[in-house]
Amino acid sequence: MASAPPGPQRPRPPFIPNPNTNTNPNPNPSSLPDSFQNLQIGRPPPPSAVPRGVAPPLPFSSAAPRPAAFPAGPGPAPSVAAAPPMGPPGLIRAPLPSAAPPQSHVVRPFPGSPPAGAPSSQPFAAPPPTAPQTFSVLPPQSSGPFTGNPALAGPPNSQPYMAPPSSQPFFGTPSSQPFRGPPSSQPFSRLPSSQPFMGPQPPFSGPPASTAPFGAPAWQPQPRPGAFPGSVPPPVRMPGIPLNAQNQMMPPPPPAMGYSPHAGTQMSTPLKIDPNQIPRPMPTSSVVVFETRQGNQANAANVPPPATSDFVVKDTGNCSPRLMRCTMNHIPCTGDLLSTSSMPLALMVQPFALPHPSEEPIQLVDFGETGPIRCSRCKAYINPFMRFIDQGRRFVCNLCGFSNETSRDYMCNLGPDGRRRDADDRPELCRGTVEFVATKEFMVREPMPAVYFFLIDVSMNAIQTGATAAACTAISQAISDLPEGPQTMVGIATFDSTIHFYNLKRASQQPLMLIVPDVQDVYTPLQTDLIVPLTECRQNLEQLLESIPNMFESNKVAESAFGAAIKAGFLAMKSTGGKLMVFQSGVSMEVPFFCEAHKLLQPADKTFKTMAIEFAECQVCVDIFLTTQTFVDIASISVVPSTTGGQVYYYYPFSALSDPAKLYNDLRWNISRPQGFEAVMRVRCSQGLQVQEYSGNFCKRVPTDIDLPGIDSDKTIMVTFKHDDKFQEGSECAFQCALLYTTVYGQRRIRVINLSLPCTNMLSNLFRSADLDTQFTSFLKQAANSIPITPLSQVREQITNLCINILHSYRKFCASVSSSGQLILPEALKLLPLYTLALIKSIGLRNDGRLDDRSYWVSHVASLSILLAVPLVYPRMISLHDFTSKEDDDISLLSATLPLSSEHLNDDGIYLLENGEDGLIYVGNMVSPDTLQHLFGVSSLDGVPNQLVLQQFDNDLSQKVNEVVNEIRRQRCSYLRLRLCRKGDPSGMFFLSYMVEDKTPGGLSYVEFLVHVHRQIQTKIA
Amino acid sequence: MKEFLDLEAQDGVRMTWNVFPGAKQDAVSCVIPVASIYTPLKPIPNVPVLPYSPLRCRMCRAILNPFSIVDYIAKIWICPFCFQRNHFPQNYSSISEDNLPAELFPQYSTIEYESNPETGPTVPPVFLFVVDTCMIEEEIGFLKSALAQAVELLPEKSLVGLITFGTYVQVHELGFALLPKSYVFKGTKEATKEQILEQMCFFTRKPRPAVGVIAGTRDGLSAESIARFLLPASECEFVIEELQKDPWPVPADQRASRCTGAALSVAASLLGVCVPGSGARIMAFVGGPSTEGPGAIVSKTLSEPIRSHKDLDKGSVPLYSKAVKFYEGLSKQLVHQGHVLDLFACALDQVGVAEMKVAVERTGGIVVLAESFGHSVFKDSLRRIFQSSEHDLGLSFNGVFEVNCSKDVKVQGIIGPCASLEKKGPLSSETVIGQGNTSAWKMCGLDRKTSLCLVFDIARKDGPDAIGQPTSNQFYFQFLTYYQHHEGQMRLRATTLSRRWVAGPGSVQELVAGFDQEAAAAAMARVVSFKMETEADFDPVRWLDRSLIRLCSKFGDYQKESPSSFSLSPRLSIFPQFMFNLRRSQFVQVFNNSPDETAYFRMMLDRENVNNAVVMIQPSLISYSFHSGPEPVLLDVTAIAADKILLLDSYFTIVVFHGMSIAQWRNAGYQSQPEHEAFAQLLQAPRDDADAIIKERFPVPRLVICDQHGSQARFLLAKLNPSVTYNSDNPPPHGGDVIFTDDVSFQVFMDHLQRLAVQQAYS
Repeated sequence: MASAPPGPQRPRPPFIPNPNTNTNPNPNPSSLPDSFQNLQIGRPPPPSAVPRGVAPPLPFSSAAPRPAAFPAGPGPAPSVAAAPPMGPPGLIRAPLPSAAPPQSHVVRPFPGSPPAGAPSSQPFAAPPPTAPQTFSVLPPQSSGPFTGNPALAGPPNSQPYMAPPSSQPFFGTPSSQPFRGPPSSQPFSRLPSSQPFMGPQPPFSGPPASTAPFGAPAWQPQPRPGAFPGSVPPPVRMPGIPLNAQNQMMPPPPPAMGYSPHAGTQMSTPLKIDPNQIPRPMPTSSVVVFETRQGNQANAANVPPPATSDFVVKDTGNCSPRLMRCTMNHIPCTGDLLSTSSMPLALMVQPFALPHPSEEPIQLVDFGETGPIRCSRCKAYINPFMRFIDQGRRFVCNLCGFSNETSRDYMCNLGPDGRRRDADDRPELCRGTVEFVATKEFMVREPMPAVYFFLIDVSMNAIQTGATAAACTAISQAISDLPEGPQTMVGIATFDSTIHFYNLKRASQQPLMLIVPDVQDVYTPLQTDLIVPLTECRQNLEQLLESIPNMFESNKVAESAFGAAIKAGFLAMKSTGGKLMVFQSGVSMEVPFFCEAHKLLQPADKTFKTMAIEFAECQVCVDIFLTTQTFVDIASISVVPSTTGGQVYYYYPFSALSDPAKLYNDLRWNISRPQGFEAVMRVRCSQGLQVQEYSGNFCKRVPTDIDLPGIDSDKTIMVTFKHDDKFQEGSECAFQCALLYTTVYGQRRIRVINLSLPCTNMLSNLFRSADLDTQFTSFLKQAANSIPITPLSQVREQITNLCINILHSYRKFCASVSSSGQLILPEALKLLPLYTLALIKSIGLRNDGRLDDRSYWVSHVASLSILLAVPLVYPRMISLHDFTSKEDDDISLLSATLPLSSEHLNDDGIYLLENGEDGLIYVGNMVSPDTLQHLFGVSSLDGVPNQLVLQQFDNDLSQKVNEVVNEIRRQRCSYLRLRLCRKGDPSGMFFLSYMVEDKTPGGLSYVEFLVHVHRQIQTKIA
Repeated sequence: MKEFLDLEAQDGVRMTWNVFPGAKQDAVSCVIPVASIYTPLKPIPNVPVLPYSPLRCRMCRAILNPFSIVDYIAKIWICPFCFQRNHFPQNYSSISEDNLPAELFPQYSTIEYESNPETGPTVPPVFLFVVDTCMIEEEIGFLKSALAQAVELLPEKSLVGLITFGTYVQVHELGFALLPKSYVFKGTKEATKEQILEQMCFFTRKPRPAVGVIAGTRDGLSAESIARFLLPASECEFVIEELQKDPWPVPADQRASRCTGAALSVAASLLGVCVPGSGARIMAFVGGPSTEGPGAIVSKTLSEPIRSHKDLDKGSVPLYSKAVKFYEGLSKQLVHQGHVLDLFACALDQVGVAEMKVAVERTGGIVVLAESFGHSVFKDSLRRIFQSSEHDLGLSFNGVFEVNCSKDVKVQGIIGPCASLEKKGPLSSETVIGQGNTSAWKMCGLDRKTSLCLVFDIARKDGPDAIGQPTSNQFYFQFLTYYQHHEGQMRLRATTLSRRWVAGPGSVQELVAGFDQEAAAAAMARVVSFKMETEADFDPVRWLDRSLIRLCSKFGDYQKESPSSFSLSPRLSIFPQFMFNLRRSQFVQVFNNSPDETAYFRMMLDRENVNNAVVMIQPSLISYSFHSGPEPVLLDVTAIAADKILLLDSYFTIVVFHGMSIAQWRNAGYQSQPEHEAFAQLLQAPRDDADAIIKERFPVPRLVICDQHGSQARFLLAKLNPSVTYNSDNPPPHGGDVIFTDDVSFQVFMDHLQRLAVQQAYS
């Protein structure tokens, strides 16, 4: 890993799990840089180990060891050719999370074999037999397919299925034995139902093509054993439950299965469903390169890889899917078609999403005083889809269709292909995403400086629980991560039942403490000097932070005036705007208590909302760090951050032992992640659609725009659309998101993100190009939005119905040929039932559980990116106890996920489950003391607090676990709150509540749920 | 005169009439009210301090005094006020004609009691500085050094607090060692005691009692929570150093935003919370007009001028009455708590003394008005307050003043620094002047010079029984003053007086014999000032003139309608001159001054003794020359001569005026030549005399040294009788001067007086 390529230019400091506070710092220094990259990439899912360590750079870095990989690229070409049968299918492969794995395994087999390029698809493709679609179903015969491949032939033939077992086996087995290991093919054989598919889908052969594009397979050819970082010894499961285990692990993902129009996952008679064969997410292990646009035409098949997979984007006209992606990659021509599909039409916009380190940075375009070229009618910004006509003298707006005159300065002749000759030289004409330098006309005032104001609770509780000290330490350490320069201003205040400001601008003198006692009617005690350039007060500030915990050591004030404090903080920064970070522990004096459970999720009154709107108007963005041990009414409090573009951090129950590290890391990431201030965002779309609603953390004062006092790389805004007209088949529908913001260094910019998608009249196209992760995220947000206003049972029902309706639509219009006894899932959405089930059982929708937890979940989800939305609901679980027996590096360890079912928990095992927020370490009751000793430094867990500080000990297991945890932290850009869960203890029960596939007193098991869904569909059809 | 001064020396009392008109009707016809000016804490040598509690009449609560009739056999004393017979208690059993307790000694008509000297409350006095910070740096510097000096001079045990204000009010927590720390209150709001209690965390350690009066350690406040704000003087010098200019910016066309009212309100409430009922002073240092919140006197716009007397007359000052109302409320609170408000107003502009007057005066506060904190008037006055010396002020706290008198006398009220306690009784007259409707008054702050003017009402109806009973033609008065001595203990001073009354025809001569013209002038000055402030459309000049004419008409010797036959007894002879000067004084001719100055002058008048009041009304003028020693001269323009030096003492200002020749010699430097030592001495003499006056006077007067025809000479000229004016027929003698005025001279005034006094109509 150390060899990580230098390549990526990273704009901002990456997120690093703090070396300082982290009790178990990453021991390997060299890993740090690496981690940086990762972080920057912000790349989602686990799989990537490979890329990171070795491959990622490949694409671009010449240094990359195996250029070969890329060469793979060429592969695709062939494959494409091959694929043919199913025109589109080829491209499809990407969408499925599971898709990746298959590739990998497939590929391997063909070491050297050129076709490798088309890996994933191939396996199935070739073997036309199996029903790629029915992934679960895969019958044994399927093996056939592989046989086809010469390369595979060897081992595979016999055990065709091994391949499918996908990733795991692969990794496990070093290249040498490639496919052997997996001999497990048997598992498949078991596969019951699948038959139906088998026969029918010859077409699938096609898919291979698609894979090609992603160079991923590339390296496979090279059998470097060691190289495969990710390779985890397959044996993992083996011991106990050899075959079965494997099966479970790798549901026969037909991933790459082409999408035949009818493609779908079928479940035969529900009752006979084999739990091991039902769809589950499959981690991908390879990086693919995604070109956002191929050729000058919208290519219907150019579906972006799943959001949660690892990919590198080449911006060739459309924006990176990280920045903006749509729930479907075809736009239905009519509103009727859309409603028939029952799918949502929405964009997830994450304007500052972290790029992959290998991606080119977004280019900055300066048009000088005239400002960016815009359509004079709809004010859309110039983009690659605007069509120049009349020798370039005019251009037609792709959003409103208006024909504009090209200004003289911007004239350029058209080439033979109808494009401007300079199109490739001008980023705004060839890139999906560009930034423009904003001119005066975009400013109502000078761009604001970067202002950070910290508000710290010092009431009795906060002091006694150590929350104040933790906050002070965190701030003190994080100061060095604030943007450098004279533009950076800071201020600080503390509060209990009164508010204490500090005058930091007192050269060579101690800060002056100014108390505002009247919390009914707050004010700032000074007009200036409360917020001071960092360069002028660093020393004072540090001293102050050090002494605050002592100063209030014996504070006996139990109340904390949260509302007044944020108001006061706001007043202090009103003239500039900026970030207000509140560290709150106590019970807010202002929050009245209600008893009606349902009402509690709504803000207790309008005060906070009114206040928040006022904040937003003055460009103040509020982040709240709740370091509490009591109920704090997050429902009320969270209105403020969610209206001002901030967020809530929740540390409950706060532990002075384990939480400070997370607090520091959260704060550090908060201020160091890519972000902008005083932003205004608007999404425009082609005539035919109109924006229906924005959803996320912002303030909306006019119908068309949303105001974002703060916007950062973690925030996602959902934009829903509705039809107000029809599109022509074959036309394109364009979306343009324009974000006007101020950088942390005080420059005003406009980030313009463009996406142009083909329109279709075919329902099957919609299903084929459906984007599961995005759709699911949209459901998730929809659910979160209705939780405060709708009874939980109703929300769960709504969500279930959404799922049923979509599947029903598919069943009815796209898969009508199949027997009605089968449950057929569209390939792209085959995980929808699982995710839906998980969502129903999630913290936000559970009936039990604390109100604050639910409110926090709601507020967290509101701005959540796709990347994190999926794991939040369907966490990742891996086993830790057997780490030492695997030889892969941590990244591939990470991809060895387990289904969330208690069947997979052994009493002698230790498991890590993480959802991007929390990390739960489950320890069975039969774990050997040795393992405990290695991992926790104790031979018995009695007396070890649940709030865990993971230490690093000098042994393999401990080191690996630490590495893995750090890797997760990097991936999630979040420092997990680790909790220890013991079997037979309430904490163990808590852990088990995450086993969404299990049957619970109030919920169905996964299989039961499928049955339920199936019945509902049948009822509907009948 | 001498006898009046002797009486004053013995008891601190001057009375306008030392022989009383014996009936209501007589009293009315005497024109000058029956009044006494009493200095409760006048230092009187040899006043015994008795280490026990006084013996009281069980009927009227009067204290045993030399006028009581004692039956040594029966061990009974008869109260001279109510004639109640009281038995002596056990501890007086050894009383006999030869063994009298001190309080019965005739010469001890004034005596002090100090009850349980060992256990008496020893709460140290509290000084809460309330400091304006809206000033230029220079002024702040002056103020800082003055305060630092003051803190050093404070008795070590006394407690000090600090509040600064500007746009906001900052209460500094002095007992917080880690950082400088202060509570910041909005300048636009008053702060109640409740808010202070709640917002400044006085009850964090204990649950706050749900009901009841909450204040002080007695009611459950912890000493530490109080000690946060009030620290022994010895521990808090550092604080003053921290003073800084108010940081809020002031636009060029605006006044600084200064919330004097809110600051005082916070200060009052803080003291009310911390030390209710024990001696404490709020010392406010104000450098400009209040423009913010309660008590604002003017808007922030500079183009709007600060109110003048003209504006007040026209009633076109909306802020004025609001502010006065606010300060009335504040004064009630302070009086209730027993705390004093002192005001040090140092600015070229007005700061609102006129509005604050009510609060300062009713709490017995000190007021000093100067142009700058760097001016000696301020600096030296402040030092004087704390310095212990022979002239020190002897600041005392928490006084209660009570009166007993014979049943035919009632009290209309007191004009002076005190507040009525609304203790209405048979003693209080229906007619009210000043603080009335009571027989007890609160004096939150008092010092050795504080003088009250009590105005009496003779309630005795003329009746047949009233005549010819010589034994009963005495009125008795007893003035009781409880106070917290500046050393901490509680004391009671009792002064018992007796005055004879006369009635009927032929009493005029006796009345005249008892007439104290100086006391009368002082009393008239207080009354006329009071009436000017409280009575709408009051014409002071006319009222004074009529009073004087009626007085002269009643007591003068003349033949009717013959002005030339008019003459006055020596007892009355200089009274017309006092009235002439009073008419021209700053108390009546207010239009030459700002409302602030007028308020200041009046407050001083109302707290000073007769002597000083007379100086204010009619300045003294001393002439120095080679021809004779220093001699008092008439306050007349003719006193000016080229070869003379004049020393004018008008109380607030002392002017050393060099005649033209003297000035030339001085400029030539003769005084430094050995052969002209006499000249040097001549120059020095008035300076020395001026210094002597300055040394004992509080507030320290302003010293003006000027030359004839110099611009500063106006300080002298304004006070002189304009007997020679620019349109006089008789030119001034050589080296003399003329005054450019249309005012009538004393001579003209007297002519008119004589003419009117002898007219039938006034008799």
